[in-house]
Amino acid sequence: MNSFLKRIYRWIDERVEIEGLVNYMGKKYVPVHRHSVWYYFGGVSLFLFIIQVVTGILLLLYYKSGEELAFESINFIMSKVQFGWLIRSIHSWTANLFILSAMIHMFSVYFEKAYRKPREITWVTGMLMLFLLLGFGFSGYLLPWNELAFFATKVGTDIAGVVPVIGKPMLTFLRGGEEVTGATLSRFFGFHVAVLPGLFTVLLGIHLLLVQRQGMSEPLHITEKSERKSMPFFPNFILRDLTLWLLVLNLLAILAVFFPWELGKKADAFAPAPVGIKPEWYFLFMFQTLKYIPGRLWFLDGEVLGILLFALAGVLWTMVPFWDQKSSRGEQNRLVNYLGLFAVLYIILFTIIGWLA
Amino acid sequence: MKQYMYFIAAALVVAFAPQEYVFANDRCLECHLTAGDKPSELFKHDIHSQKGITCAACHGGNANAEDMEQAMDKKAGFHGVPKGDDISKTCSACHSSPEKMKSFGSSLPTNQWEFLQTSVHAKLTLQGKEHIVQCITCHTAHGIVSVKNPSSPVYPLNVVKTCTRCHANIPLMRSYNPSLPVDQLEKYRTSIHGMLNAKGDAKTAECASCHGSHDIRSAKDVKSKVYASNLPGTCSTCHSNVDYMKQYKIPTDQYQKYSKSVHGIALLQKHDQGAPACNSCHGNHGAMPPGVESISKVCGTCHALNADLFSSSPHKKAFDDRKLPECETCHSNHEIIAATSQLLGVAPDAVCRKCHSESQNLAGYKAAKSMRIAIDTLESEERHAKVLVEEAEQKGMEVSEAKFKLKDIRQARLQSRTMVHAFNESKFKEVVDNGLKTANEVIQESQTSIHEYFFRRIGLGISTIILSILAVSLYVYVRRLEKKTKDRNG
Repeated sequence: MNSFLKRIYRWIDERVEIEGLVNYMGKKYVPVHRHSVWYYFGGVSLFLFIIQVVTGILLLLYYKSGEELAFESINFIMSKVQFGWLIRSIHSWTANLFILSAMIHMFSVYFEKAYRKPREITWVTGMLMLFLLLGFGFSGYLLPWNELAFFATKVGTDIAGVVPVIGKPMLTFLRGGEEVTGATLSRFFGFHVAVLPGLFTVLLGIHLLLVQRQGMSEPLHITEKSERKSMPFFPNFILRDLTLWLLVLNLLAILAVFFPWELGKKADAFAPAPVGIKPEWYFLFMFQTLKYIPGRLWFLDGEVLGILLFALAGVLWTMVPFWDQKSSRGEQNRLVNYLGLFAVLYIILFTIIGWLA
Repeated sequence: MKQYMYFIAAALVVAFAPQEYVFANDRCLECHLTAGDKPSELFKHDIHSQKGITCAACHGGNANAEDMEQAMDKKAGFHGVPKGDDISKTCSACHSSPEKMKSFGSSLPTNQWEFLQTSVHAKLTLQGKEHIVQCITCHTAHGIVSVKNPSSPVYPLNVVKTCTRCHANIPLMRSYNPSLPVDQLEKYRTSIHGMLNAKGDAKTAECASCHGSHDIRSAKDVKSKVYASNLPGTCSTCHSNVDYMKQYKIPTDQYQKYSKSVHGIALLQKHDQGAPACNSCHGNHGAMPPGVESISKVCGTCHALNADLFSSSPHKKAFDDRKLPECETCHSNHEIIAATSQLLGVAPDAVCRKCHSESQNLAGYKAAKSMRIAIDTLESEERHAKVLVEEAEQKGMEVSEAKFKLKDIRQARLQSRTMVHAFNESKFKEVVDNGLKTANEVIQESQTSIHEYFFRRIGLGISTIILSILAVSLYVYVRRLEKKTKDRNG
């Protein structure tokens, strides 16, 4: 068996020269310290992305976009297609776990200051991927064309529409018109299966390449060489990663079987909006904040101010490697820690309030 | 207060004073009688005049003044003939005052004006200056007599004529409500009520008995006495009164039976305004019990398919020959209960047994028995299918299509009940078989869903075991690998 594998390896190596890459992988080490556990969330996020791609392609085989077909095709997938229910449920659950895992990954990188020089581009590509992920979530939510998705999209795009100057054209662009219609569904489908995956794949490629090239960042507190411990990336870290992936897959299977993702009622533009319409959990903290901002604040519309503040916060957060020079110099920056802590607590608190409201 | 005392004392004197004395005090009447005008001639016999009420009560002025100038002096409050709404306001000045009415020894209600204002007659005229109907429209102006007086235009025998003065006037009714029929009187005269009324029976229902008098509302108004859900109560005012109906020798339990019937429950309890009330079968203005041969036609106005099937069935001739009322023979009349499959077949509570037995009309007996078995089977399969669909749904399975098909089974069951009226076994079974076929499909689909539920759990269990073994094996392998590396590095 071993000789057979070796022959295959030799056959490939003769053609694409992978010897160098394998040697490089064999020399690559991952730091081991008390915060090493956070490294795994990058791998988990990658695994969830792979699941999304695979299940998404499978769903594409049966999904039909269009006002008259979308809901019916999902219903068909769930009731008639062999294991269709499983694929759809896994796709929906994975979408949520993916965002959760990516957020944990992002915050762990933030608190470890792993974004500091020379990993600024890795951080920025990661942040951009997180924004794209939210776009995936928002566009994918509408695709079953059910009542909740329809009204959530209406509310979501309405909010985007109040942004000064670009709001109105952006709303028309997103909806494909003035209202949420079949044109919106077609657009969201296009974004979800073509535009966003294309952009995401490019960013992911750069992100992974940089991670491989630069290796894992070490926390600031590890300064002495003697303190440094590590493990080989291949096979130790990869196998550990794989173990976690199996556990995540197990969790997904349990969620899909015990809590199958419901389809709900078909969207009806003329029906009244269901009471207490809410966006998906990852938008809830922003949605809840907008509710608390007064209608008018100084000379600005409260909602506009809220959106602008969130946009500003997003930009500042993405640019953290460039304004946090202390961390780049290897110094502790308490302000960044406090800001991060505030952001985490704020998101958790407002998500809970929004959930209970 | 003092003024009232004087007024009451004066009224008592007037009430108990001789007739000549009363006239002697109404100088207006005296004078106008001399002039020989018609209103004063009529007023002489008017109930108001007899109670001592002078012309001045409505026209103003001083009825005691000898001089005409003084009597009709505007300073004395003379305003002549009231016009428009002032007419009814003049009447209501006394008729809406319990104190005043009491002072004349009247026990009449004092809410007529109030009621009139809420009635359909309170609409404005075409000119928009006054209400369509004033008190004098029905009661006349100068010759008003008690409603119990046979010469009153609102006496039960005359009221029909009074109402139709307007309601049979086509141009007038067209101006206000073109969709309202104008043939009520003609229909009424053909009804039992109308015929008895024409014969001088003042007890029978006339317009006011059903529509009310001062508080007449549109039949579409929920407060109307003839609004669908109020109508049975209105009819029962007389028809459930044993003493009142005694002389007519007809039953008085119709309302009691109706309110327990499927129609009564739908209308009175479920407030389904489309459900039949008394008038749906008996007519309203031309109210009459339907004849034996026309019952199926009357029921058929709503139950059209059943009536058609019955008319072309072998039972039609059999019922006609035996003079059996068509629908009523099996379903009864006022106390029609919800038709269930129990009516069909040869069991003790089935109606087919009334005519069919093993010794008499055997073919029908066999057909009834077989049809009952078929519909019982369909009902049982429908129940089974419903239970399985519910079970699958509770298990979180997707059963929307099966649920939709449940409606088809129900539809087939209802259709089969209708098809009973064709009294044709093969046609009946065709419908039942369609229902059974769909029921079988639903049962199979639901069972598949339930099996799928268990398959998913078993599948999950197996995959969990495999994934867990793999994860543990990997972990153990990595630990061993790390230990080996550690040992090698010393």
